[in-house]
Amino acid sequence: MTNDVIDHATAASQFIADEPRTDWHDAALWWVREKRDRAASELPEWEALRELASGVKEHTLTHLADYLERFETEATRHDIVVHWARDADEHNRTVHAILAAAGATRLVKSKSMLTEECHLNPYLIARGISVIDTDLGERIVQLRGEAPSHIVLPAIHLRKEDVGDTFHEHLGTPAGLTDPDALTAVAREHLRGHFLSADAALTGANFLIAETGGVVVCTNEGNADLGMALAPVHIVSVGIEKVIPAVEHLPVFLQLLARSATGQPLTVYTSHMHGPRDGQRMHVVLVDNGRSAQLGRPDFWRSLKCIRCGACMNTCPIYRRSGGHSYGSTVPGPIGSVLTPGLDLEKYAALPFASTLCGSCTAVCPVKIDLDAQLYRWRQLITDSDVAVRGRAHSMGVAGAVLGRPWLFHAIGSIARLALRLMPRRLARATAGVWSRSRELPPPPAQSFHAWYRASRRELS
Amino acid sequence: MSESSIARDAILHAVRAAQPPSVALPEVQTVLAVRARPVGDPVARFTAAAQHAGARVLSSPRDAVPDLIASTFPNTGRADSELFVCEGVLGVVENGAIWLSESRLERRAALFLATHVVVLLDTSALVEDLHAAYAQLDIASEVFGMFMAGPSKTADIEQSLVVGAQGPKGLTIVLRTPSDSDSASGSSSRPPATRATP
Amino acid sequence: MRSVALFVPCYVDQFYPRAAIAALQVLERLHIEVVVPASAACCGQPLANAGYERRGTRALDTFIDTFASYDRIVVLSGSCAMHVRTHAGEHNADGAVVASRTTEFCAFLHDEVGLPAVATLSSTCDMRIGLHIGCHGLRGLGLARASELQVPGFNKVRALLQTVRGVTFADLQRPDECCGFGGTFSVTEPAISAKMGRDRLRDYAADAAQAIVSTDMSCLMHLDGLARRDGVSLPMMHVAEVLNGGIAA
Repeated sequence: MTNDVIDHATAASQFIADEPRTDWHDAALWWVREKRDRAASELPEWEALRELASGVKEHTLTHLADYLERFETEATRHDIVVHWARDADEHNRTVHAILAAAGATRLVKSKSMLTEECHLNPYLIARGISVIDTDLGERIVQLRGEAPSHIVLPAIHLRKEDVGDTFHEHLGTPAGLTDPDALTAVAREHLRGHFLSADAALTGANFLIAETGGVVVCTNEGNADLGMALAPVHIVSVGIEKVIPAVEHLPVFLQLLARSATGQPLTVYTSHMHGPRDGQRMHVVLVDNGRSAQLGRPDFWRSLKCIRCGACMNTCPIYRRSGGHSYGSTVPGPIGSVLTPGLDLEKYAALPFASTLCGSCTAVCPVKIDLDAQLYRWRQLITDSDVAVRGRAHSMGVAGAVLGRPWLFHAIGSIARLALRLMPRRLARATAGVWSRSRELPPPPAQSFHAWYRASRRELS
Repeated sequence: MSESSIARDAILHAVRAAQPPSVALPEVQTVLAVRARPVGDPVARFTAAAQHAGARVLSSPRDAVPDLIASTFPNTGRADSELFVCEGVLGVVENGAIWLSESRLERRAALFLATHVVVLLDTSALVEDLHAAYAQLDIASEVFGMFMAGPSKTADIEQSLVVGAQGPKGLTIVLRTPSDSDSASGSSSRPPATRATP
Repeated sequence: MRSVALFVPCYVDQFYPRAAIAALQVLERLHIEVVVPASAACCGQPLANAGYERRGTRALDTFIDTFASYDRIVVLSGSCAMHVRTHAGEHNADGAVVASRTTEFCAFLHDEVGLPAVATLSSTCDMRIGLHIGCHGLRGLGLARASELQVPGFNKVRALLQTVRGVTFADLQRPDECCGFGGTFSVTEPAISAKMGRDRLRDYAADAAQAIVSTDMSCLMHLDGLARRDGVSLPMMHVAEVLNGGIAA
């Protein structure tokens, strides 16, 4: 990933240039959204669950330090070694130190957006550690040298032909093999070898239970469990916002998570660790990396309620038509667009504008994050921030030129209507600029409503 | 001071300084109160949910289980790489998941390495939902416990569902009903557990 | 006699006077006294959604001053109504009062005038209608059940249109997918905006919609612009125009 400023509109227009692929991407994600709708409708208490989950998360975040300390105490009691990392670099150094102390050089990873966020892979590879992402989608994008484009469906931007080509190049499958069953079978055998020879496994965590010091990991493939069950060292990399108070809250979140993510009642494997297995060492690395700063932002702290289900991506009409990579961030889509500006305002200034504020994300969110309201607030801060960021915002098109300046519109309204009637179409298009690249301007009426009203009411009186 | 303990204090300090005004912890009871009363036979509903998750569900009197497994998997050895048979602790009617715990697994890895997994579960060990399951379980008492719902799956290639992604390609649940000898003693004839009282 | 102040947003005033005239006539035919204050031009919503809320402050202040003395303020746009309801209260005490008294045209008819009264308009429209409720009216004001929510279904706008003789509705694959207008989004993200609009038009065409009827002329300005660019002739009307019975395609 580069430090270039993200230009979502340009990236989106490049993605959309391949319209059949865009339509497929849109339809595939909409299908997941529809599965979510069916799964949610099976629970009559769905809206009450969302409300409860939101409340539990808000409570936890407003007492986060206490719950983190409680988790640490209880986890330590279960022989889990708890580490703390303020930022990505400290996280990477901590993981490397754990591996080095154990003499481990072969690491298998299951899905962890946090390690993507911290760019752990290149850090470890540069230090001689072999790092294999084992989630199928993540393995596919790792082989291609890409980042995941979705937090739950990492390879959703690819067609089976792309995967076939990648496996042909890297895993020696026959050219033209595109059957998902066959490709998955090849990946299974390929990854089995890595699981059996790994000397450390790294997983993320969906939940940390303060009450018991437990770690909960949800997967469908079984890759996280293969790693945890086989490797002599298990490292859990997890953001500090993932803690929940007690066991009784787990069912609330589990019922919401899988249904929101993929439309399943529950993920295939929901694993609960309260300590290492015999002969294993288990570490939990608690990572801040901007989270405490986000917690301190009154308009945005609720974004930390996120349980990473990806439903806001699946429902977002912009995400579905622009692909995850257009956001240039580990977490794309609506939730990414409220998290990333807090990490680097200049780089991600465009993202809060990559939305129509339609509000579907807020309505679909299982923990009721007010995503559209937060996007709105970021917009205000970005246009009011320092020159570099503001310049970025201004350069994003002719925002103010036509529709952003209604007072101007109003003042020149009658002239504009006249101009639209008299001007050649080409000239009118140039005047209205970007609007007219793909749309006609409205046909100009003879007079405005206010003019009609004044005239007609005068006649009446 | 170690780097980690410096980081620990710094993070906890930053978090405390940043914490918004306290929000009260809502009662989980609020959602239990609005739950619809489940209707229908729990065994039938569990079976449907487990099948929906991709599991095969068989039923057998307790003393006929060995024969059932032998006849269902006639040419399969009990080696890790092929068939793994284990005992489930409880099953969840709402989603077809089964709780498995470290103490009831001979070797945890086998559960994921085997091509086919068979879980034996007493019909008396069914609970209505996850709330009831957690109320009944003591999850912190073992280093590992897991809800398993169906065989390993992925849809990472074009959203095409592939069963047997990395773990087992098949899951068979054998629901054990009391044998004649059991019911004579009356030990296993209690009805399926509903929500345990906390 | 009931009395309301009608707010006609700037772009409706300039480009779609027919929608505003229809709204005015519908209200008056329902024996509602309608005042249209001359000084009301803009609520500041387009600027605010573009990130320039502070520059739209004067517009919203003017809106508040203009409407503070009216008991009911009816807005001919879901997104403008939502903006006033959400943000006017942040300005001053008058703003809070104005916010609480502001409603959207269809919500007003449905909730306060009532369907039996609306039915007395006795309009006719022999058309298969593609209904488009703007996202802010839908999710922000609750004009219909949003498809994400697991609550009993309702649709106030559809209920209003069902009082019109002859109206049938096109069924959509995605009943409440955003049309892609989004204010300045339409020009800052032109490629996606146009793609969203064309996808929406395709959904209407798939079930043979003969007209698109909306709560928001801004959405229709976008959809109509796309349709005409593609040489498609598809009437697009505000709900008020259908209720008023006169359809000038």
